[in-house]
Amino acid sequence: MQIAQPSMFRDARLYQILFLSSFLLLGTGTRDWTLHPEIVATAIATCCITQWIWSVRSTPLTPITSPLLHPSLPSALITALGLSMLLRTEHISTMMLAAAIAISSKFLLKVNGKHLFNPTNLGIVAAVVLTHDAWISPGQWGESSWYALLFLGTGGVVVQRVGRWDTTGTFLGSYALLELGRNLWLGWTWDVLLHRLTSGSLLVFSLFMITDPRTIPNARVARLVWAGAIALLAFILRNVYFIPTAVFWSLFALAPLSAVLDLIWASPRFTWQVESLENADNSDAEEPKAPNNAEPEKKSYFLAPTP
Amino acid sequence: MNTINNSNRKGLAFGRYAFGHSKGFRPNAKPLQVIGFILFLFISEQNSLSTSPPLATHHSSFTLHPSPFAILMKLLRTLLLSLLFTVSSLFLAAKAWAFCGFYVAKADAKLYNQASQVAIARSGNKTVLTMANDYQGEVKDFAIVVPVPVVLKKEQVEVGKPSVMAHLDAFSAPRLVEYFDPDPCQPQPMYDQMPSMAAAPSSQLAQKARGNAAELGVTIEEKFTVGEYDILILSAKESGGLETWLTQNGYRIPKGARELLKPYIRQRLKFFVAKVNLNEFEKAGYQNLRPIKMAFESPRFMLPLRLGMVNAQQAQDLLVYILSPKGRAEVANYRTVKVPSNTEIPTFVKSEFSDFYKSMFQTSYDREGRNVAFLEYAWDMANCDPCSAEPLSREELRDAGVFWIDEPQTEPSRPGFFAPRRPSPFPSSNVFITRLHVRYTRDRFPEDLVFQETNNREQFQGRYVLRHAFLGKTECAAGREYGRSLPRRFDQEAQTLARLTNWDIQKIRQKLPKVQAQAPSSWWEWVWARLGTQG
Repeated sequence: MQIAQPSMFRDARLYQILFLSSFLLLGTGTRDWTLHPEIVATAIATCCITQWIWSVRSTPLTPITSPLLHPSLPSALITALGLSMLLRTEHISTMMLAAAIAISSKFLLKVNGKHLFNPTNLGIVAAVVLTHDAWISPGQWGESSWYALLFLGTGGVVVQRVGRWDTTGTFLGSYALLELGRNLWLGWTWDVLLHRLTSGSLLVFSLFMITDPRTIPNARVARLVWAGAIALLAFILRNVYFIPTAVFWSLFALAPLSAVLDLIWASPRFTWQVESLENADNSDAEEPKAPNNAEPEKKSYFLAPTP
Repeated sequence: MNTINNSNRKGLAFGRYAFGHSKGFRPNAKPLQVIGFILFLFISEQNSLSTSPPLATHHSSFTLHPSPFAILMKLLRTLLLSLLFTVSSLFLAAKAWAFCGFYVAKADAKLYNQASQVAIARSGNKTVLTMANDYQGEVKDFAIVVPVPVVLKKEQVEVGKPSVMAHLDAFSAPRLVEYFDPDPCQPQPMYDQMPSMAAAPSSQLAQKARGNAAELGVTIEEKFTVGEYDILILSAKESGGLETWLTQNGYRIPKGARELLKPYIRQRLKFFVAKVNLNEFEKAGYQNLRPIKMAFESPRFMLPLRLGMVNAQQAQDLLVYILSPKGRAEVANYRTVKVPSNTEIPTFVKSEFSDFYKSMFQTSYDREGRNVAFLEYAWDMANCDPCSAEPLSREELRDAGVFWIDEPQTEPSRPGFFAPRRPSPFPSSNVFITRLHVRYTRDRFPEDLVFQETNNREQFQGRYVLRHAFLGKTECAAGREYGRSLPRRFDQEAQTLARLTNWDIQKIRQKLPKVQAQAPSSWWEWVWARLGTQG
């Protein structure tokens, strides 16, 4: 437990954990969510255990590394908090399935060391498709400017730390433009547009889910294309196919596109370590130092934060 | 304009204009009639006799005659429960209440004088939508325009039975239940049976207009008469043309409607226009207009609210009953919030339940920011507890649009991925009802309501509990302890009531039952009382 505090708080994942758990508490406290504590506990336990098993399997621990405080556990916690916030189910088993799939996908579905799918997103989609008792509540946050500001503020901190503000910006910007076009064409009043864009679920998605640096393309141009494509598909799914949970399906469908875009625009890959030389285009992200001198040599198994 | 205003208040208040037909325009339409709320005090007895015998076991005045085996089982249960009760009451001051008690009253649609009711039965993309109509004005002034997703043919439109909508309302209404505390000196389990369950039972309109309809870009897609209604299905190219066409054909359109027709036209929605065919109406001999039912297939699962708000001055109430084979429905683009429920409130509320519910709803509505949909009921249609009305029969469900009623039950009872579904003491069916109550105004509901069905089968009901204290003479330690606990309990109930309704706490306190102050007990009396060994 001799972790150097300052370096701990330089890890963007800790901000993310802090913000996501406050949102979870805020949502449960003020937003009348049907959240069962045992299901949240299940999500956290399953994610952490699955992560731990896979990590230990893939990277044998040195005697000095504490097996309980495996450095990749914060990522698992982020996935668990994201699942608890977004996925609704009445059954512990469904949450276990979602959490296990989410974490395992990080180890099994990899291309060039990067995740093919956003783990939380995959967990949600898997639970909704494979079981008959899971669902997503897109209206759960409501549409309130107060929440919008809160999400933008806190999300901004994380996004800025990770240095992937361009993804969020492109996604939100292009989605807003598309909705603006639709609003103008239909002739709705401005409050309709505002109502659609201040949706808490949309903001949480664009600030905490789509920004996962381990699933988005490496090069900036590729990221802009990728985020724009997700916004376009989400817009089509919502307004042509009338799917209220469009953003999640859009990300699921287009996440693998990231691998293709990486081939087209080759660029250094993101890891969470500042020492990593390959993290050249990510000067904004301040990475944590190792807890002590026993810094593991290989960094690539450190897992990306997922909302 | 009176008729228009009147129509807006009393006609179908969602996604439509209820506007006057100018040929029969009367300047002074029937004034608003406030329908008083009727308390259903007699229903508790009827209930306990006809549908839910176990309810009667909570009350000493209702006795059943069980078999010897049942008596033995009851004794065993009593013994077990007494043990459990004694142990738990030693540690727990607050009691948990099971879903039982006597149903006494309900807060149904009659409570609101501007309520519209819509039942939507939906499975996949197939939808049967029923709009009930509490229009109180002159029948010949009645006209509605509802945007619909597809062109409806005559076979797709029917007239529904008003009784079915009323039954849906009664079945799902928030309810008042009451309990009677037993004599504390004769301890007995609070309940000795599982919560009760009810068994699953088992024209001429467009003739002259046709000529210039094409010029205005309006197409009469279908024209037919169903029951007492003359119905037109219109499609339009632009809002000005549609507005002109409607005006030329004798419909009075409120100001500001034109801008609102445009988005619907551009979304390629069609317009369902209905007015009353007086001949048919008189022939049929009905007193009131019957609900209109339409069946269509569309991925859109929404209710157009905006048209209904064109010139509405006040908030309007909309009750939506969504029937689904899967589970609960919720609003996808606004928050869905449960109404406060399962709270203990002072017993005097029994005589003013309608006032209580209205105040409580208004308080919650204000507290949540006036832009949410309230969940008032979510339940499997096969049972209820306590029942505010009998579950709907298969015939009634079919009339409400449940077209899948005869299909075998598959999805709803499918278990979790690994573990089986939690065993439920209730029978289940392939129909799940969600009652949503939306009070909407133009400023807080800019967008039409979009719904989604979910796999959530957690049951919920708006339920308010009256707990009658035992006010008889008690001469044991437990009784004295009970007597001393009453003032605190009453005050707790008063505070709950004040918080829920925003009523003045002092006035509430004046109405509380009076309890004689008791001398404080010694600590050993308290222990004996908790252990239940004395008295």
